[in-house]
Amino acid sequence: MYYFDHSATTPVHPDVSELMDSIQSTIYGNPSSIYSSGQKAKSIVENARKQIADSISAEPEQIIFTSGGTESNNQVLWCMLQNQKKHVISNNIEHPAVIKVLEFLKPFGLDHTLINVDSDGIISIDNVKKAINPQTSLISLMLANNEIGSIQPIKTVMDIARENNIMVHSDAVQCMGKMELDVIDLGVDFLSLSAHKFYGPKGIGILYAKEPKNMSSLIIGGGQEMGLRAGTENVACIAGMGLAAKLATASIDKHINSLLEFEEQFKRGLQTFFPNAIFNGSQVNKLPGLINVSFPKHRSDILMAKLDRVNIAISNGSACGAGDIKPSPVLSAMGIEDTINLSTLRFSFGKSNTPEQIDYLLNQLKSILTPE
Amino acid sequence: MSRIIVGMSGGVDSAVAASILVDKGYEVEGIFMKNWEEESEFCSAEKDYKDALQVCDILGIKIHSINFAKEYWERVFEHFLEEYKNGRTPNPDILCNTEIKFKEFLHYAKDLGADVIATGHYARIYHNNHEVLLKKGSDLEKDQSYFLHGLNQHQISSAIFPIGDLEKFEIRKQAKKLGFNNYNKKDSVGICFIGERNIKEFLQTYIPSKTGNIVDQNGKILGEHDGIMYYTIGQRKGLGIGGGHTNQNGAWYVLKKDAINNVLIVGQGHDHPALYHKRLKASNPHWISGIAPKKHTLNAKIRYRSNDVPCNIIELGMDNIEVEFKDPCFAIAPGQSIVFYDKDICLGGAIIESYSN
Repeated sequence: MYYFDHSATTPVHPDVSELMDSIQSTIYGNPSSIYSSGQKAKSIVENARKQIADSISAEPEQIIFTSGGTESNNQVLWCMLQNQKKHVISNNIEHPAVIKVLEFLKPFGLDHTLINVDSDGIISIDNVKKAINPQTSLISLMLANNEIGSIQPIKTVMDIARENNIMVHSDAVQCMGKMELDVIDLGVDFLSLSAHKFYGPKGIGILYAKEPKNMSSLIIGGGQEMGLRAGTENVACIAGMGLAAKLATASIDKHINSLLEFEEQFKRGLQTFFPNAIFNGSQVNKLPGLINVSFPKHRSDILMAKLDRVNIAISNGSACGAGDIKPSPVLSAMGIEDTINLSTLRFSFGKSNTPEQIDYLLNQLKSILTPE
Repeated sequence: MSRIIVGMSGGVDSAVAASILVDKGYEVEGIFMKNWEEESEFCSAEKDYKDALQVCDILGIKIHSINFAKEYWERVFEHFLEEYKNGRTPNPDILCNTEIKFKEFLHYAKDLGADVIATGHYARIYHNNHEVLLKKGSDLEKDQSYFLHGLNQHQISSAIFPIGDLEKFEIRKQAKKLGFNNYNKKDSVGICFIGERNIKEFLQTYIPSKTGNIVDQNGKILGEHDGIMYYTIGQRKGLGIGGGHTNQNGAWYVLKKDAINNVLIVGQGHDHPALYHKRLKASNPHWISGIAPKKHTLNAKIRYRSNDVPCNIIELGMDNIEVEFKDPCFAIAPGQSIVFYDKDICLGGAIIESYSN
């Protein structure tokens, strides 16, 4: 398979896979048990916590293991129900794991404002300022968008938030290994990550909390994770994520460079035979290797099906449970009309790719888009 | 080798249709069509999609999904509501075939490089010299040619119905043998987008109901109806005016719907003469061959699964036809289609407008 959908998920790094296999088959103790096999499991979990913390310049005590980005986002937003101030600011290109949670929590008393993005998919600081009211407790802003890769001006937002005594959460699941992630530099109060986006396993992620003692658990039960996430730890996945984070951080410069090269090769090649291609979102402030392209006069579902026949995996729009394609709400929010919206594909390159694969992709696209 | 794209509903018929084509060595792909959006978050199409996915997985074929909800709404559903508002009894499944499955879906499949499309309909297609014929399915209990009578030569020559010469029990047996999860899935009944729901409750959400009188043929008020659209000519149950089986004059039946005055006219007994008519007028005749039949003494169905009844087309125009039945016909419902057959060949049909004696 020719896999160009790394923003959806990534192949598990072989070292990670090997580590997880060995843990699954040998270390089956419960980290809460005090005999040696339990202790061993516990130390694996804590080692991974350190690895993850180091990769984002956090302290291990600030890392809560969750089932992934969605749960991490939920935990932050649900916690806001307990805050004295009950208004959250987010924006209209956020992932459903934020927007739908906010909608759900509204009747429970958590109010919210979704600010608009511009045609580049980036929020304006003025809009953030306008949305702030005395009740605002949190600004939740994804660091980089999953469909177009646009990077939000988090640090500027941070400054305004500080002045107004507002906390900031950032869903950064797209970012590990593709941009520097330093929670001290960013200054955010909360950050969500998901392992399967950086060559780790699925079903595991973290919530970084600057002040975990102010948090409460979303999943109620045993006292794991300092009482902030009940349930027996997924030891193998946690270990896998720790290693994946370490590997991603160690190779970040090389990774970014190769993503930029793939992107350049792809864009240049595409324009030679399909000059009408529209590249959506900011092409300056965006993640490397993630390209959102509209192919006017072509339907994305047809293109996808044809690419699938030649073993090319890419994605489009937002697929529902029945696999049918609807206009992407992200592109709609940027003012892109439905017909163009439905002619859009997302290519996201990654470690599994080579320049030869990009050539193959271009050749196949060419024969589909410009038949003899 | 031709590429055939199969419309997969998640049901057992289209699943076995796909498997037959795979066995014959065609290059087969499935497309799951979603024609209806639920208001609720819960995606009811998801279960059907998973069933289709499991089948494609077993067969080792690709499956794509396509959403025609907008087209369905505009071209089938709005018409369906309009007909109900006018006190008629529409058949959206006929329109779904002509407008969606054998138009939008066919077009989409061709864009995907399909040579022909296939569906799990119980009907058969014969290529006869210069003409393509639509015949009833071998399983007469399941025959779906009634719903397909609106297709034209282009449409049926682009389609194949792999299970048309099989019986339902054989389909289920085959599906079970192949390990399809849907082998025992209930047959879909009624109108697809309403599904298992109560049609009355469904319609209420789209059409404001207006209560009115239920009267007998002399105008005597017998009760109140909830909205004329909820009733069909020939309907016995749910009138709420008592009488039922115990009544010596027989149960009450809907004889007529007077949409203009919002009145439901009822009469007693299944044999009530006002339920039987010898003639009907129908509009928009469509002939599968493209030309009107030379033979005017034919058989007809006036609703899905009704028996074939002998009739004579006494007037045959471009826009309207008039039909006379050999014997008076029970409960002719305007809005439904009359479909004509010459033995097992489906010739076409028209939309019933009115009836008389």
